[in-house]
Formats: sequence, C-alpha cells, structure tokens
Amino acid sequence: MISKRFRLFSIALIMVMLLSACGSNAAAPANEKVDLTFWYWAESDAPGADAWMTETVEAYKAVNPNVAVNVVPQSTDTLISAFQAAATAKSGPDIASQWATGPVLGFVWQDALVPVSDYVSQDEMKNWLNVDENKYNGKYWGAPMYLLGIGVMYNKDLFTQVGVTAPTNGRWTWDEFTTACEKFKAAGITPFAIGDKNGYGGAWWFANVGIQGLDSTEDLRQAIIGNKPFTDEKYTGWYRLLDDMVKKGYFNEDVMSLDLDQGVRLFWEGKAAMAFGTDGMIKQASTDLGEGKVGVMKTPKWGTGKLADAGNATQSISFLITKWSKHPQEAADFLAFMHTPERLTSWYKHTGVIAADSRFDRTLVTSDVLKQMVEFETTGPQVWLENFLPGQIDGDADLTAGQTIFAQSGSPTDAANLWQSVAETWRNQHPDELKNWQDWKQ
Amino acid sequence: MSRMKPASTFLARLPRTIEPYLYLTPAAAFIGLVFIYPIIWILQSSLWQNNPDGTKGFGFTNYRLIFEDPVFYQVVANNGKLLFAVPIMTLLALFLAIVLFERVRGWMIYRGIVFMPYILAVPVVGTTFVYLLGLNGILNTLLRGLGLNGLAHDWIGSADWVIPSIAAVIIYREMGFGVVLFLARLMSLDKEILEAAEIDGANWWQKHAYITLPQMSAVIEFFVIVELITMLSWVFAYVYTMTGGGPGFASTVMEFYIWKHAFAYRSPGIASALAVVLLGVTTVLIVLQLRLRSKSLEETL
Repeated sequence: MISKRFRLFSIALIMVMLLSACGSNAAAPANEKVDLTFWYWAESDAPGADAWMTETVEAYKAVNPNVAVNVVPQSTDTLISAFQAAATAKSGPDIASQWATGPVLGFVWQDALVPVSDYVSQDEMKNWLNVDENKYNGKYWGAPMYLLGIGVMYNKDLFTQVGVTAPTNGRWTWDEFTTACEKFKAAGITPFAIGDKNGYGGAWWFANVGIQGLDSTEDLRQAIIGNKPFTDEKYTGWYRLLDDMVKKGYFNEDVMSLDLDQGVRLFWEGKAAMAFGTDGMIKQASTDLGEGKVGVMKTPKWGTGKLADAGNATQSISFLITKWSKHPQEAADFLAFMHTPERLTSWYKHTGVIAADSRFDRTLVTSDVLKQMVEFETTGPQVWLENFLPGQIDGDADLTAGQTIFAQSGSPTDAANLWQSVAETWRNQHPDELKNWQDWKQ
Repeated sequence: MSRMKPASTFLARLPRTIEPYLYLTPAAAFIGLVFIYPIIWILQSSLWQNNPDGTKGFGFTNYRLIFEDPVFYQVVANNGKLLFAVPIMTLLALFLAIVLFERVRGWMIYRGIVFMPYILAVPVVGTTFVYLLGLNGILNTLLRGLGLNGLAHDWIGSADWVIPSIAAVIIYREMGFGVVLFLARLMSLDKEILEAAEIDGANWWQKHAYITLPQMSAVIEFFVIVELITMLSWVFAYVYTMTGGGPGFASTVMEFYIWKHAFAYRSPGIASALAVVLLGVTTVLIVLQLRLRSKSLEETL
C-alpha cells in the first residue's frame, strides 16, 4: 500500500515537474530580477535611434523596476556575423537585431529564434506594420520598429534652372527620366548622385529598378532555387538601363570612390539634381538645401512586371527573440513596450522616421516631402527585394554585379552571368539552405 | 632553503632525458592550445559538408566545391598579383637602407620617418589612403593641379588600378620594416672591407653589388619570405578598409573571401577548406624560409 502511494506520489511529483518545465516560457514572477541583453542596431538607418533606445530603457525600468535591459549597439559590418557566432554557440542576447526576411529566416532555419507571435498578443500585433516580411510557417518571427522607404529626391531649384518639370503624378516613365537626365548633363549638372564603393548603390538599383521586371517575390525565389535562369531578361535585363546611364555620364564620375551615403551627400550639397533617399536622407536634404527646396518622386517606371508599381518600404531591421533566452516573455513585453503610443511619438521625434505601427500619429509629420514619402510607404504592396536574397547571392551577385556596371569593368551580360554563376555556387555550397528556400511557401 | 629541497630532489631523481621535456611542457601546451588545436579544428571543419536534410557529411566535398567556384581563381590571382609588390618593396627598402647607411645628413630622422608608417595601424593607413586615392581625392587633385590630368585615375574604384593601388599602400607601410631590418644588418658589416674597396677604386654600385649585398643575403631572404607570407595572409585589413574587395571581385583576396564565407555566408566548411589551402601555401613558404636560413647559417659557420 505504502509502495503504491509512493508510486502515485512520485508520478504526481514528476507530472508537476514536467508541467513546470513546460511552463518555463511563462513570465518570471513580478519581483524576480530579470536581465535582458539586447543586441541593437538601428542608428545607421535612423540617426537618433540609439538615444531613443536609452530613453526607452529608462522608461521601461520606471514601470518594470525588476527588469534591466542591457543594450549592446551592433555594428553594421558585423551584424550578421556576430549573431551567427551566437547562434552557433546557442548563447548570446535575449533580443537580437537582423535585417528582415532573408537574414531573419536564415536564423529561423538554424533554430536560433522563437516566434515573436507566440509571446505577443494578436491584439497588440495587429497594429504592427509589415510583419509579413518575417512570416514563416504561419508565425511572425520579428518585431518591426520603423518603416523605411526609398524615393527619388530632387532639387527643385536645379529643376527650375534647367527647365525640367517634376512628374505631376509622382512618377516619370523611364524615357521622361532619361530625357531629364540629358538636360541636366547638357547644363553641366550631375543628373543623379550615388556611391557604390561598398556595393549598396547597385543594390538600391536592384531593389528599385530591378524589381520592376518581376511579378512577385516568388519569381525571384524560382531563380534562386534554380528553376529559372538569372540570365532571363526579367531578372537582369535592367542592367542595360544602368549601363546606358553610366556610359552617358548621368552619374557623378566618382561613383566608385564613394560609399552609398557619401554619394547622397553630393545631393545634399546641391551638386546633383536627383538621388535616391530614405526618409532620413530626405529630411537631411531639406535641412541642407532648405525647406521646400526638395521634392520626392517614385523611381521611374520601365518594367511591366506586377511589382513595377509596388512600393519599397521595409521594416529594414527586425527585433528577434532568441531560442536560448531564459526570459522570452519579458523580451516580448519589452518589444511591445517599444510600440506604446508614447514611445512611438518619441521615436519619431528622435529619428524623423515613421514608426511601423498603425497607432503612430501621422500628424507629427509636418513636412510636405516627408508626408509624400509616408504616402508612398503605406499605400499598396511594399517589397524591398534585397530582403529576398540569400546573403551569399546578395553579397557576391547583387552588390558585385552593380559594381561591375558602375566601374565599367564588365557588360550587362557579364552582370547577368555573374548572378547565374553565384546562384549556382550558392546552391552547390549550401544544399541545406537550398532545401529551406525550396520549401519556403511565400 | 629547506623548502626548496624536495623539488630539487625530485628533479635530481628524474632521468636526464626527461628533464628537458618537463621544462618544455608549459610552452608546448600553450603552443598546442593556440596553434595546433585550431589547425586540427579547421582541418576537421573543412571536411564537414552540410547535407540537404540538415545532417553533416564527411569528405572532401568542400575542397571540390571551392575548386569549382570561379571566384576562387580570381581571388587566388589577386593574391598572386600582390606578390609582385614584394620585389619592388625589397629593392626600395634596400636602396633606402643603403642611402641612410651612408650617413646622409639627418639620416636618423629619415630612418624614423621611413619606419613611422609601420607602427601605424593598418585600418588607419587604409582609411587615410581611401581619401587620398579617391577619384576626387588629394592625389588626383594634385595631379590635376600640375596639369597631369591624364595621370589622374580612379585608383581604388577601377578594376584595373585597384590591386596596384593596394600594393602601393602595402609597400608604403611595410617598407619601413625592411629599411630598419636592412640598416641593422648594414651596421654590423665590417667597414674595413668597404674602405678597402673604395681605396681600390670601386664605385658605389660595385661596392654594394659585390660586397654589401652578398653579406646581406640572409636578411634579404628573411624579409622576402616574410613579405610573401604577408601578401598571402596578412592583407585583409588593407582590403577591408580600402575597397571591401571591389569593384566586383577585383580586389578580393583569400583572407577576405574566407572571412565572407565564415561570417557573412554561413559556410564554415567552405571557409575552413579555403583556410586550409591558404595554410598549405604559406606553410610551403615557411618551410622554404627555414631551409634558406639553415643553409645560410651553414655557410656562415
């Protein structure tokens, strides 16, 4: 009898212990001291983001005195590699930062993350914008903070000086664009400023111009997994347009001596008629050239793919909860706190970049040109195509092929062949990643 | 004193053949941990290949894959081109060392100036030269100011010029090491032989070609081998800070390519296989250096 009771007691005890273990995802008791480590990146996209985070951590501590958030700013160059090392060691931050889609999913497939949607309520998440960028297997794996779009900013004074009229509908055709470029060139003004020493100038052309030949991101995935050739016109035909522009001298001649942001500075200094710009860059241009002197339009249209009319806004960076975190619920609570209306307002005041949240008060945006950007970023489908590339294809094909054209060290055909060759190399070297990309239903 | 006795007794009891190894053990353990273990780890890692189902396969697949990668050959060629900087650097360092050795006025100041770049951190040198060598950088501004527009190139933005430009920056920094090395050897030479040659009417060229250089062969060989190894496996920081491997792959070198695969592309196996190939080439050079040194030592004795 005693033995039977003992067995029952033991079973009950084990059940309790198992249930306790299953419940380890639950929040820690309110008085338990919780230390969260947050590997944070945003300042490069949104200057002021670090100061905002410092303020946010203090504000969170005021309402949750038992939770300490230790923010470790991350460098752009080592953002992926540092977290890769952490994922390999299964040890590191509670909250990590990675660029949306491709990089995030890479870590999902390495089993380094837990879905944010498992810890944040649907009521809260329904307010977050662009969460689909990190949707996989019906779950959301990243929390957005802001929306970043890219438009073509233009110098109104230079337009008037040369007699070029900005598009009335917010967008030129490609012919209208190149005609305007020719006029600026003839007037001795650099039509379009850009830098591509670090390869990102070419990557922006891919994301803004290259996208226009595609019908969907699925089109791109088919080429990545090898079902379609990258040499097909719809994927890489746009390099001819870029090559033509380089040959005609429509870019600043030192494009390969300057990084992307250094190229944009030429526009801020009034040395070029147009340039790609994020919200932050446009804001800076308005400061440098004068309020009302800067206009913005969508990237000129050349393609006939269904994505030719899509916007390009992305959350850029996503905040992720790591699988090894002992406090995933507290991590999620902090991410939700970052989206409280008071924090969203503070975010905009610090950075001038709109928050990726439907509760964001858009009346805070007072500049006409930035209002126009917000309109672009929140209307219709939004796809930042570079997010949908495996890192190796992005680094060795996207960034490199653009440099080939800007440096005139190869032809558009060489650029297309490079994409195809790098994709083949990636497929051979990463059969496990290839399998994930093949299985990924977008 | 008495407390030392047990240890002394212990050592005294050890066979003479074991005792030296005991002294070497800490150093050997340190070398094993710092050098041998990582090499074994990399060798092992280079043999693991990811399978489509996420499992690992063991074999030489990573080596086959890197030899099938067309970028690999361009990267090797870039390292090969950089090797041409070694003879230029060596000749320049020798020339400067000899000029300084002949006690030109203020030679100690010049020696300090020549050596200074060598103590600067490579990223500092690299970043500075990015500003100097840009299309609208200081060098081209000077050239255009002198009316030499034809000589103003996009030094780091052009696929044709980027490797020579990086090589020039490496020469600028590494040459100081050679000058100091050669100068030290020159100062230890027997001056009477040079004076005798002068009395016999030898000119500057004959004096150094037939007397100075033969006596410096060991140190020149050492410098050349060290710099060859540098060009193969110590140029990452120059490339990273100056060009990021571009334009295209025009300045991507082995180290940079290994780094990309290891940290950006999640391919530790490929990175390890590349590292093993690089290790193999540098090992050949190190063995060559050791053989040359032992040969010259034998000749000296």
